[in-house]
Amino acid sequence: MSDFYQTGNITTLHQLGKPSLERLESELLGFAKTRPIALVLPALYSEFEGLAMPGIVQELTKVKYLNEIVLALDQATEADFKRVREFMAPIPAEVKIIHNKGKRISEVYETLKRNGLDAGPQGKGRSAWLAYGYVLARGKSDVIALHDCDIVTYSRELLARLCYPIASPNLNYVFCKGYYSRVTNKMNGRVTRLLVTPLVRSLQQLTGQHGFLAFLDSFRYSLAGEFSMSVDVARINRIPSDWGLEVGSLAEVYRNYSPRRVCQVDIAATYEHKHQALSSENAEKGLMKMAVDICKSIFRTLASDGVVFSEGLFRSLIVTYLRQAEDTLMKYEADAMINGLGFDRHEEAKAVEAFTRAIAMAAQAFVENPMGNPLIPNWNRVSAAIPDIFEMLKTAVDMDGK
Amino acid sequence: MNDFLNLILEPLQEVFSKFKEFVPSLLAMLVILALGILLARVLRAVLVKFLVAVEFDNWSDRMGFTTLMRKGDLWVKPSAVFGAIVFWMLIIVTLMVGLSALKIAAIDNLVGQFFSYLPRVFSAAMILVVGYVVSSFISRGVLIAAANSGYHYAKLLAEAVRVLLMLMILAMVMEQLQIATSIVLSAFSIVFGGIVVALAIAFGVGGIGAAKRIIEREIAEEQPEKTQDDIEHI
Repeated sequence: MSDFYQTGNITTLHQLGKPSLERLESELLGFAKTRPIALVLPALYSEFEGLAMPGIVQELTKVKYLNEIVLALDQATEADFKRVREFMAPIPAEVKIIHNKGKRISEVYETLKRNGLDAGPQGKGRSAWLAYGYVLARGKSDVIALHDCDIVTYSRELLARLCYPIASPNLNYVFCKGYYSRVTNKMNGRVTRLLVTPLVRSLQQLTGQHGFLAFLDSFRYSLAGEFSMSVDVARINRIPSDWGLEVGSLAEVYRNYSPRRVCQVDIAATYEHKHQALSSENAEKGLMKMAVDICKSIFRTLASDGVVFSEGLFRSLIVTYLRQAEDTLMKYEADAMINGLGFDRHEEAKAVEAFTRAIAMAAQAFVENPMGNPLIPNWNRVSAAIPDIFEMLKTAVDMDGK
Repeated sequence: MNDFLNLILEPLQEVFSKFKEFVPSLLAMLVILALGILLARVLRAVLVKFLVAVEFDNWSDRMGFTTLMRKGDLWVKPSAVFGAIVFWMLIIVTLMVGLSALKIAAIDNLVGQFFSYLPRVFSAAMILVVGYVVSSFISRGVLIAAANSGYHYAKLLAEAVRVLLMLMILAMVMEQLQIATSIVLSAFSIVFGGIVVALAIAFGVGGIGAAKRIIEREIAEEQPEKTQDDIEHI
């Protein structure tokens, strides 16, 4: 059971005691009458062949308050798409599948591209963004929840707790991030523990108090892939198409809304999903790629808010981060010991060294090109450029579904 | 015996001589067809390149033609569709010219009719394109005006306006193409007239109360105010 401490300048909704799932779901069923809820699932076909997706689908068959489920399917052939459609059939909510590699959706991407609205390369960011567009096009939901499709420990309580803060008309939140402890027999979540938190605190140490850094530091699991939001957020937020997706999305929320309208919610006691290899020698894949993209996203957000990054600052940052990360590592070692968890200090130290290199690489990339990859434009801009884009997207998905 | 052979050979000779007369025409037709197909292919390639260069696809995206194509389950670039239309038009024209080279009276008549019909097809296409743009523009205007006025069914109203305008444009197109003109005209008159009558009845019957209140208010405003009594009553 967690404590009730409120972290930072956003609201933290803890899991206190043993809240009844039946009560949560029955309240959500009531809320959904006035604020219909859409669930967005960015998925790869391979996830249907593993353990995670069958479990998720089985749980979703018991959920009654969802208005629609939009599954953005990637890396799937036409035959895979048909299999997924059959696979999702037992779910009582209306399920719509966006076949990202399909002919029609490819044409939608092509239309966007030729109008200067590139949705970026294939990935979770692009899939999620297109799924938001489809939810907006249908105009049947007021709340959007999103979670990954590789959660092995999925339960419908996770979804209920994720949706509740935004669906409830009594709570005035527009964005809610999920959090959980990434613990099995050891501590996981290396990028959050050993990169993001020490990096943010190092930046605070060097640049002084900054709103965005305080905002980012308020999140217990800033890289969690589970969140819910009002449809207006989906309409006005731009999102990165690379691994900076989570941090970049938080930056957009920070830019557009007051922290008072943002919360985080404890959604699961345990959470297990697909693990990425560190790939410390290759910055083009694994956790290293993720680390570089996240660092670049943080640097760009701060720079766009007026923070000046000089060569000296970057040099100091690397040293400060290393100290912060080493201190953090010791804290987690103690935490693991008292809880009887396995803790490979050498592996953790190697991760810190790799992340230090990642910061240096990100700094260099930022100096060379401060703009970097542009964010995927928000849907307001897209519909201004192509007024009928929602109609086109809706037609593409609906025809694929026939 | 010779007479008998002549009886057999004469028709054959006649067929052969006719065939000899026909062969150059046939060859001419084949050459025309081959050249026409080649020319159509080249023109299509040039046209598509030109359309891409002038950003026709982007214009089509903004004007809503792309979405119209998508609704018809046509998932290729608008420039490619335009190129294909022009290509097939040229192929049909080539076929007609080629057929006329055969110098067969019945076909000549058909070719003549085809070419006299072409301007109608062209003007019908123009009506359709311009009409679609105008109806989209008006529909969007209605949507913005109705939404800004706080009208709850703004989208529905805009769609209704678009459908009505498109109905009118389609009637004009059919009339231009001279396809079942009287039926189209009658159907259009009935549908359009029916809608207008339905709206008149709906607003007339539904608005009796409102009209009554407005008229009463007008009359009340027109009546002079009663002069106040000078005497103060105890």
